[in-house]
Amino acid sequence: MIETRTLQLTTPKLAAEKLGFFRYGFIADKVLLTNDAAEWHLLTPADFELFLSGGLEAGHPEFDALNAKGFVRSGMNLMDLAQKVRRKRYYVDYGPHLHVMITTLRCNQGCKYCHASRTDMDSVGTDMSPEIVKKGVEQAFQSTSPYICFEYTGGEPTVNMDAIKLSVEYSRELNKKYGKVVDHSVVTNMSWMTVENAEWLIANGVLVCTSLDGPEELHNWNRTWVKSEQNFPSGVNVQEASAYQQVLHWISYFNRRYIETGKDGGLWHVDALMTTTRKTLSQYKELVDLYVSLGIRNIKIRPLNPYGFATKTWRVIGYSMEEYLDFYGKVLDYVLELNAKGVQIQEGTAAIFLKKMLTPDDPNYVDIRNPLGAGTGQVAYNFDGRIFTSDEGRMLAGMGNDFLQIGELGKTSYRDMIGHPTVKALVMSSLLDGLPACHTCWNMPYCGVRPDNNYMECGDLFGQRPNTPKCKEHMGISRMLFERIAADTDGKIMAVFRRWTINRPRDEEPVASSHADAK
Amino acid sequence: MTDITQELDELIYSTDGRRVSFTLDEAIYPRDAVYGAAYLFVDRAYVFLTRPADDRIEVRLKPKEESDKAGLEKLAGEYANELLNQVVRVRVGESTAQIREYYMAKAFFADSNQTSIDALLAELDAEELEEDPLEISVPWEDPSNG
Repeated sequence: MIETRTLQLTTPKLAAEKLGFFRYGFIADKVLLTNDAAEWHLLTPADFELFLSGGLEAGHPEFDALNAKGFVRSGMNLMDLAQKVRRKRYYVDYGPHLHVMITTLRCNQGCKYCHASRTDMDSVGTDMSPEIVKKGVEQAFQSTSPYICFEYTGGEPTVNMDAIKLSVEYSRELNKKYGKVVDHSVVTNMSWMTVENAEWLIANGVLVCTSLDGPEELHNWNRTWVKSEQNFPSGVNVQEASAYQQVLHWISYFNRRYIETGKDGGLWHVDALMTTTRKTLSQYKELVDLYVSLGIRNIKIRPLNPYGFATKTWRVIGYSMEEYLDFYGKVLDYVLELNAKGVQIQEGTAAIFLKKMLTPDDPNYVDIRNPLGAGTGQVAYNFDGRIFTSDEGRMLAGMGNDFLQIGELGKTSYRDMIGHPTVKALVMSSLLDGLPACHTCWNMPYCGVRPDNNYMECGDLFGQRPNTPKCKEHMGISRMLFERIAADTDGKIMAVFRRWTINRPRDEEPVASSHADAK
Repeated sequence: MTDITQELDELIYSTDGRRVSFTLDEAIYPRDAVYGAAYLFVDRAYVFLTRPADDRIEVRLKPKEESDKAGLEKLAGEYANELLNQVVRVRVGESTAQIREYYMAKAFFADSNQTSIDALLAELDAEELEEDPLEISVPWEDPSNG
């Protein structure tokens, strides 16, 4: 039986001709306004209705701030808005700055969530050859970006240490001609580290980033050894070793040697990344406490990605985005609680969003960017010379789908690489200004979508925003941050958040984690 | 003092116990607002859009999970609220379209007097000239005869 009902709607009076462009959402009993320049302002519902009606005028306590931020028409400074927009999206002027080099697929760990397609330690055919290394370096220097970061990953990249050394030395030689700012970063599980290699990495200024998933039992459960007859180069027996103890040993070694070699310990220390599995969800305090005890000042909470082995083990290690956000919120509040006690630690993803919200700049984090950085902010060179839009692109290729391949070293020019139709498709499908739901979303100035993830989860690059985990994740995190700002009556939370936005090159989000992979 | 009196409207919907449906007048609820609101429900409901008459759009929402009477009423109320928000967004967007085009052009184009549309038209013109099917750019004199 069909019933007919009537809803009483209260239509707000709207004087659009008095307003600047804005997006809005409802957060913590307030209305949040945002605009193209990433300015934001919180209003009470009553003031919001006054604002919509054009009645929030000079003399009202909120007027000056709304006017300065470009939300009202009368005092709007268009050049100021243009300059703010330009500054926020400066990265569209430049080509890729992040150049991921997969030095080998060989790895001695078989992580339950491994996103890469690792091979066994005797598969030497998956090592990057010296010729490919040099071609990769040459390709990277063609980028129009004045800053280049080489990120070495795998497999376990230090298994092919010769490739890392060649890349660092050859890029140093080439840079005499190009004069770019160049960083090198290795993402290692530390198990194949030797004193000799560690000393070389320290002496050559290569940043070191490792994986540390939490307390020993959790870390070792996530990151198991592959059965092998080989011992570690350090002589430790594989079957008897604890992956966790290996990581702690080398973190301690590097941090000690940075100080002993005269480096600033505040700027030089090992960064660590964690990947969240179902087992992590109940151990948020232990996880944060571990990072604090090791003197690590940045903990970046990361969800699983839909690549590689994680797609097969999801039943055991996976969780819903709602469960993840609940966990994330607990971590965030615990980290804030520690900050209130004077402990210096920040949550890395929050820091990325806060830099977008609280500063005039953008951190240029390639995975939370408009448009996405795949192909335009980063490229990945596979061990065999194939070029992909991102590390995730080669992970997809490892699953048998080369959809995100955009060339081959030695055959594809830089212009053809970044002008590849796939790169254009990724840009189009991640340009938030034109995406349904994003273009009207209050979080749009701070967000970024992942067409590559959409492709994995939905079968097309665009996906449907309300159905994609990344939309829920990014919106959920931004909402938590604004909720805490809205409830911050004494300014203490804001003081902590502002500290997290201070640009301390070696303390902030490690360059090595500028994409969301996990080996 | 500015009058901020709000307008009270009635929005009729129907339900058969499994879904809710609205028939909306485009003169009141612009199509972009109707679509925009519906899109935000695709995670919770199957969305069906039809045109029962000129300038009318029917929106049917069928929850993806079992829903009782209260759940359907809540769904209808939430869609109606979102519809109002989308109407505001569409109207603000229309009213500020030229302003946005201006400051976006200033932000991203070197020639500050050129709007994005002008730049695109100039690019298209340039491409057409490049094709030159009448070979206007070819010199009349044959250099080999000179």
